[in-house]
Amino acid sequence: MTTTTSPAEVPAARSRPSLLRRVWWSDSLAGWAFISPTVLLIGLFGLVPVVWAFVLSFEHNDLISPGTWVGLDNYRKLLHDPQFANSVRNTVVYTVIFVPVCVVGALLVAAALNRRVRGISFYRVAVFIPVVTSTVATATMFGWLMDPDFGLVNAGLNKIGIASQGFFRDPHEALFVIVLMTVWGWLGFGVIIYLAALQSVSADLLEAAAMDGCTRWRAFWRVEVPLLAPATLFLVIWLTINALQLFDEIFVTTKGGPVGSTTVVVYYLYVQAFQFFNGGYASAIAYVLFLAILVVTVIQLAAGRRFSYGQR
Amino acid sequence: MASRTRRVTALAAGALAALSLAACSGGSGGGSSTPSQSGGVVEITMSHGYTDVEDKAITAQVAAWNKSNPNIQVKLVFNGGNDGALQKTLAGMAAGSMPDIAYEYGSSMAALAGRPQVVDLTSKVNDPAFNWKDFYSFERDAATSDGKVYGIPALVDNLALVYNKKLFDAAGVSYPTDTWTWDDFRAAAKKLTDASTKQYGWAYVADGSEDTTWRWLAMLWQAGGDLVTADGTKSAFNSPAGLRATQLLHDMAVTDKSVYLDQGNGNYLNLFNSGKIAMMWTGPWDLSSINADVSYGVQILPAAGGAHSSIAGPDNWVLFNNGAAREQAAWTFLSWLTSAQTHGAFTMATGDLPTRESETKLDSYTGYLAKYPGDAVFVLNLTNVTKARPNTKTYPQVSQAIGSQMQGVLIGQTSPQDALDAAAQQADAALASGQ
Repeated sequence: MTTTTSPAEVPAARSRPSLLRRVWWSDSLAGWAFISPTVLLIGLFGLVPVVWAFVLSFEHNDLISPGTWVGLDNYRKLLHDPQFANSVRNTVVYTVIFVPVCVVGALLVAAALNRRVRGISFYRVAVFIPVVTSTVATATMFGWLMDPDFGLVNAGLNKIGIASQGFFRDPHEALFVIVLMTVWGWLGFGVIIYLAALQSVSADLLEAAAMDGCTRWRAFWRVEVPLLAPATLFLVIWLTINALQLFDEIFVTTKGGPVGSTTVVVYYLYVQAFQFFNGGYASAIAYVLFLAILVVTVIQLAAGRRFSYGQR
Repeated sequence: MASRTRRVTALAAGALAALSLAACSGGSGGGSSTPSQSGGVVEITMSHGYTDVEDKAITAQVAAWNKSNPNIQVKLVFNGGNDGALQKTLAGMAAGSMPDIAYEYGSSMAALAGRPQVVDLTSKVNDPAFNWKDFYSFERDAATSDGKVYGIPALVDNLALVYNKKLFDAAGVSYPTDTWTWDDFRAAAKKLTDASTKQYGWAYVADGSEDTTWRWLAMLWQAGGDLVTADGTKSAFNSPAGLRATQLLHDMAVTDKSVYLDQGNGNYLNLFNSGKIAMMWTGPWDLSSINADVSYGVQILPAAGGAHSSIAGPDNWVLFNNGAAREQAAWTFLSWLTSAQTHGAFTMATGDLPTRESETKLDSYTGYLAKYPGDAVFVLNLTNVTKARPNTKTYPQVSQAIGSQMQGVLIGQTSPQDALDAAAQQADAALASGQ
């Protein structure tokens, strides 16, 4: 009695592996077929340039003629390039101000918008509009608002007895005006993230806090804000990555000036690649920036896990 | 004349696309060999960035050509705006698909010259029938790199002094003359400035770009200076002439505060239109943007004791190598397009300036001047352009060094001598590296 299976089942058992394999194959094939356009596009426009830029960074290359291999020359040059050092400094200053201002601002605005007030959708839309406004339009608007001679802002400052400011024209102020402009543009994004997170905070917790005699402010600070940690972590990482790659706003407003005061890393990369046609050098800058972003993100993630209440 | 529209992010996008494309097929040379000959008919493509009236005029001219030349059929392709023309061309080159003729900025010449895909026109232009010497000398210089000709002038402009007559009348200042000196210019600008109404005598583009640099170059040349040494290996602008030019900028912008500093967004033109700026150094492309109710005059630039030098930015038609038949056809068409007759008709329709001296001797020229009175001085001013910016790969770096330092001078942050020292040091480093 070695076999208890009916004769009818035996062929089925025998053919099962090949059938399974066939099924597995067809599934997998269909799956690959479905994602192939994306894989192809990402491969072509994402991976190929990434690898190519890495090769380029070891060459002198004007992006068209065949380059010449120079080993680590470009990276060595970066170490002694005062303009690159200046661009790194500007990028760090920008990021260190932009990210906290944007996160805290978004949190406060989101808290204010997370209530039942008449016309709340209007306010929410109003906050989000800058996000979808094109950078060029934003820049043109800020250009006029902050015009040192004819701008509304200086007119207002003069009214209350403050002297006219140089804004985009003043090397000590230009970067901060860029911060202001980009916070205006990004705030709505942070608000949307926080609003979604706030709505997932259980009302039970807030009720319990209230019953324990907790004030509204303390409940916000001690209950809601800690529960928002995952959202905060996401925002900090996302905004930092974007801040380190700041380009559009600089390109359409100050072009890195006045006197290099707003030349950030990616803008400097652009100048090297597409104005000076130093493709190899620009690729080296890109790789240094990539490594910097990688390191910063990993640190942020590690730090974030320590303080996150998300998993509890 | 919208061929000089301001740059927008599209340029960046285009440039990045160029990089990806360049990356994809890294440096595969040679032209595309799509057969575009059938039964003796050669089809060629010409890419350009003309819009508005210029677009209409070139389209009409090409249509007329195609009708009377069945054997050479020309297809016009819009390049999306001339600001991105070079990036687009380079991407096409890397991908092995190029037009036969393309419109390129004069400043792009260094990046194009000497490439195997770009046709060396030297022997072609030396054909006496083409009359190459008829083009203004600075145009020929700008189309030449290392002694070889790579372009045929397509459009030319130059800087002259455009002023608002009403503001001069109101301030009791007599109009600029062709004997004006820097002192006259500075004094007038000061008188035309009124801090209380925020009216400025002059406007200067202070974004640190080539826009900042080329106006300063005109001043450098007026003072008798030079940008680089004759052999092009070292900077020559850190000189007494350079200092005089820079000092004038400082004195007017910082001491007199008679200069509106434009941030590169083109506000100066709106402010000129609204009567807040009395004078600007600009080219014919801005004339069509001046409101009809603004009565303006045009005068040549002031002198620093010597010549009333101006600067021009001639743009070129560049030929690409897509096989001998197409190259020959492209040249035949281009010789016709850039002849005095054809280009004369083009200027009549558009108000562009003549590129050949003989165009000013055509019968239609008086009609042209009557139709575009503002252009008369700009045409005359072409003879004040005696020098061209060097066609070298390092020029953009030299330009950036000067532009950025002049920005510092204009806002009163850097002294003229310090600015020149810093700019010269940076320029010399760039010239020495030869990159």
